[in-house]
Amino acid sequence: MIIFDENGLPTGRKVTGGRVRVVIIDDSQFVIKHLMQILLSRDFEVVGTAENGKEGIELVKKLKGQVDLVTLDITMPEMDGIQVLKEIKLIDPNIIVVMVTALGTAEAVKEAIKYGAKGYIVKPIDREKVIERIGQILR
Amino acid sequence: MRIEYINPFIEASFDILNEVLKTNVKRNELYLKKLGESMKGVAVVIGVTGKVTGRIVFDMTEETALKLASKMNGENIKEFDEMARSTIGELANMITGRAVTRLEKDNLSFYFTPPTIISGENLHIYEFSGMEALIIPLDTGLGIIEINIAFKEN
Repeated sequence: MIIFDENGLPTGRKVTGGRVRVVIIDDSQFVIKHLMQILLSRDFEVVGTAENGKEGIELVKKLKGQVDLVTLDITMPEMDGIQVLKEIKLIDPNIIVVMVTALGTAEAVKEAIKYGAKGYIVKPIDREKVIERIGQILR
Repeated sequence: MRIEYINPFIEASFDILNEVLKTNVKRNELYLKKLGESMKGVAVVIGVTGKVTGRIVFDMTEETALKLASKMNGENIKEFDEMARSTIGELANMITGRAVTRLEKDNLSFYFTPPTIISGENLHIYEFSGMEALIIPLDTGLGIIEINIAFKEN
């Protein structure tokens, strides 16, 4: 459970103290940079980033118990976001996974929800949209 | 090439470019490109499968790519470095994603690959399957992007 500000927007702070710990997995440095800026501006703690699925899984394994939320790109080379999602859920089913995708309501998004993703953010990465969406997911 | 496959790309390009660049994007006349014609210097290639097989190339000069990357990052990017490449790849990815979403609404299944970027002088593109490429030239206000589409229906 997190603290919401007076405008009903999520802060990255937990009711129980501490901050929401996030891992960003995306093959685009551009997306990582912008998501990180947005999350840090709301007090979330970005504990790690990975530019491909394999690295992302290793990171989540290494940080087991220290990650609350993962933002996960769907379209990545080698291992796509759906495969990575399944692995993350095996490592720690409590991690909240939010898919980040250029695809709107396409099949891949529905599949991600089926495998345990809590929601999705449709690109372009827009500050207000990301904050609002994460708020809905964490509420 | 059927127009119902092309229109979503035109609409998605306008939407995404307007959203991320906040400039007034204009479309110039569509045209067909012959085999082996030269590219401008930076080409983002995305493969498409499903209802069709083919590829989309987002073709622009390096100068345009740098201007677009600078605008999208809110900082002056002077070299076509990793961040510039990532930004341009992401732009192509967003346009393709939006177009594919529209196509899926019409119950047409499409899948696409992550973007590959090719850059350099004197680039030429050749199709082996005898496909003709349709070019959508877009004036972004920061330079021209030509969206080069070659699809073959399965």
